[in-house]
Amino acid sequence: MSTTRRNLLAAPAILSVLGAMCARDAFAQAAPVRGGTLIYLEQQTYTNLYPPAGGFYPNGGVLNQITDKLTYQNPQTLEIEPWIAESWTVSADATEYVFRIRPGVTFSDGTPLNAEAVARNFDTFGLGNRELRHPVSEVITNYLRSEVIDPLTVRFHFRAPSPGFLQGTSVIGSGLVSLRTLALPFDQLGDATKIIGSGPFVVARQVLGRELVLNARQDYAWGPKQHPHQGRALLDTIRIIVSGEDSVRIGALLSGQAHVIRQIQAYDEGRVQSRGFQIFAPSTRGVNNSVVFRPDNPLVADIRVRQALRYATNAQEIVDTLFSPNYPRATSIIASTAQGHVNLADRLTYDPRQAVRLLEEAGWTLGPQGVRQKDGRELVLTAYESPPQPRNKDTLQLVAQQWARVGVRLNVLAGDAGSRVVDSLDPAKTPVAPAMVGRADPDVIRSQYHPLTRNALLQTGGVSQRVQSFNDARLNGLLDAIASEPDRAKRLALVGDVQRYVLDQAYVIPIFEEPQVFAAAPRLRGFGFEAVGRPSFYGAWLAAR
Amino acid sequence: MSRHLAQRLGQSLLVLLAAFTVAFALLQALPGDAVLIKFLDSTMGLTADQIAELRIAYGADAPLWQQYLHTLGNFLSGEFGYSIRAGVPVARLLAENIPPTLLLASLAFGVASLLAILLAVLSQLGFGWVRGFARSMPPFFVAVPVFWLGIMLIQVFSFQLGLVSVIAPEPWEELILPVLTLAVPISAPLAQVLIRNIDTVLNEPFVAVARAKGATHAWVLWRHVARNALPSTLTMAGVLFGELLGGAVVTETVFGLSGLGGLTQQAVANQDVAVLQAIVVLSAVAFVAISLAVDLLLPLLDPRLAVRPAGAA
Repeated sequence: MSTTRRNLLAAPAILSVLGAMCARDAFAQAAPVRGGTLIYLEQQTYTNLYPPAGGFYPNGGVLNQITDKLTYQNPQTLEIEPWIAESWTVSADATEYVFRIRPGVTFSDGTPLNAEAVARNFDTFGLGNRELRHPVSEVITNYLRSEVIDPLTVRFHFRAPSPGFLQGTSVIGSGLVSLRTLALPFDQLGDATKIIGSGPFVVARQVLGRELVLNARQDYAWGPKQHPHQGRALLDTIRIIVSGEDSVRIGALLSGQAHVIRQIQAYDEGRVQSRGFQIFAPSTRGVNNSVVFRPDNPLVADIRVRQALRYATNAQEIVDTLFSPNYPRATSIIASTAQGHVNLADRLTYDPRQAVRLLEEAGWTLGPQGVRQKDGRELVLTAYESPPQPRNKDTLQLVAQQWARVGVRLNVLAGDAGSRVVDSLDPAKTPVAPAMVGRADPDVIRSQYHPLTRNALLQTGGVSQRVQSFNDARLNGLLDAIASEPDRAKRLALVGDVQRYVLDQAYVIPIFEEPQVFAAAPRLRGFGFEAVGRPSFYGAWLAAR
Repeated sequence: MSRHLAQRLGQSLLVLLAAFTVAFALLQALPGDAVLIKFLDSTMGLTADQIAELRIAYGADAPLWQQYLHTLGNFLSGEFGYSIRAGVPVARLLAENIPPTLLLASLAFGVASLLAILLAVLSQLGFGWVRGFARSMPPFFVAVPVFWLGIMLIQVFSFQLGLVSVIAPEPWEELILPVLTLAVPISAPLAQVLIRNIDTVLNEPFVAVARAKGATHAWVLWRHVARNALPSTLTMAGVLFGELLGGAVVTETVFGLSGLGGLTQQAVANQDVAVLQAIVVLSAVAFVAISLAVDLLLPLLDPRLAVRPAGAA
């Protein structure tokens, strides 16, 4: 009896699924619909929209719609393709770049996007502007000056080889803005209406901290040459609305009040998919979500301790317990979708016995409380959680549980932003830290580990005054070589070397390849992403219900 | 009288200066600062030299007394500076966040008062079980977490029944659920104090006298009890309203509304000193203005409180 009933109940369900599938196919064949308003829910509001600050996800989500880039990095092939630049040449030593600008492009304030405008943009991004407090862009190294050759040709000069520059012109942080925007002080660029780009959408109005409305630019005719969509954007309007609460974003999506949401937790993915909604999980293609050591701290100065903790870390368990298949387990320090990735999974095995052996060898013996000791010191480490990374606190706490099994304690602190920033600069206070960064160019590895940039390992010579002596000249040499090797094959070989070196030194425990996860209504089509997972609504459209 | 006024004004200014100074000192005592948090933020990837340069540009390492005088001077000339985090003038953040907060707080407060009065009336007039129900509601309302209530209201009325929209709502529907969410916990202490006061006053001898004269229960409640039960409830109401202005963070977050609560929370999280300083001074101004107004109004309401000219008996 109960079986029959269940079947009776199941039948309409199957029918409706079939119906949905048929409807889907019909949609897929239908011609794109022009017009309509898309509602996009963000977890957080944007902050300062100075383009080089576009790395912050909410900022990138806005800037990618309203600005164009000099070049287009194909998100599938990662090749650099024409966009605002029709063509370019690079000198053999990668110290001179000449770009030919597409004619007829204008910013939304009517001013031309010509060689002069491109030159002023990169002068600001490459050198900063002290008076207006514009910081230098992370992606541009060794910048010297620009030279306008004719109204549509610009040349850039570099102090030293800068092979990453071409890719650097394609990233979210290199969005081109009008000279009027560049003339404003940094402190006023949190006002989206002041960010004048040449992109397919234009800021129509904003309610600070709550909503941003973008309208399609009617005369837009300069999308990337190889982009499947050309001409003006299909949507008329995008409303980017801040909704900080996870359950509200998902409920709004499922009830039809929103079309796309950013940041959906791994445990909610199934619920969304089971109702026929789409999940997008573009990779950020950079340095993996990892735990890094600060070897300046004597507790982790011994390579055997770091190796032991790597063996004690079960990345598979973390991925299985906290995440979904959209978060692939790391096989190196950079993502498998990153350029020059080498699969080093054999060096990242989970082996608690090996961990114990190494710790014993290094002189750390089990104390009465189950925590290892040496010379009266306990092996107790501390890390701050990193709120922007997905479920970072849970990740660190699971790592702490895994390490506890071999007698090492990891304290995971939340803390206020001030304490976190200050303590994270002090290897004595934070011997361990979570870290990740997205960018689809090998320069990203240098960005992450070089003392002069993000300095994830806290070496001397960087922004921290608290580092006593740790400095790895071999590592920095490799990183500098990546940033300045003009030959592509040699550069990728160096990328392989640095991956092996960092893992051999056990400076880093890579955990998973971090995606940006979005969920969207079944009727949303043509939704795309730039190379590191920032949403692009240029070709997006809403199918009829 | 004018001398008294001058005195009170002088005192008020001193209080404001003290609030400004204490806020400044406390904000400076926190580890790190807004410049560090903003620019060391891993999304910017700046070098040590670049950060040092920005610190100089922002005067972040200038001697404290210099920063203090500089900020004070700016405040006196009505210049609140810029939010380092948001990249917009502080004055603009305040202008965009204060009106919605006032509106939400006033509506929530109005609804909460109605709810409290309703409960108080039911607790006196109704049948046995109604009275019991009315009396058990306040503790229940207090116990309901605002966060949960907000999400449940959204789930049921917006996502399930589709009666109101919470994402991109029309102006008329925007505040319905948030006001309900806020009104429930605020009505609880109001109702509790009101019920308690009514009970106390009902036992006063003058009530017995009124009853002896043949007054009906309703008449006693309205003419005698309500008047005597209200003053302490009003005091309570004042405190609650103050809390509503800054304390609606959770409701604002759940419903995605802008407001002072969320602004303060963000500013605290990022040590956005300019914003915090402005909020503290603004609250101090509001407090001082209200107490000044009350002080000056009270003698008009109650002659016993008037300051007598010196020498008068």
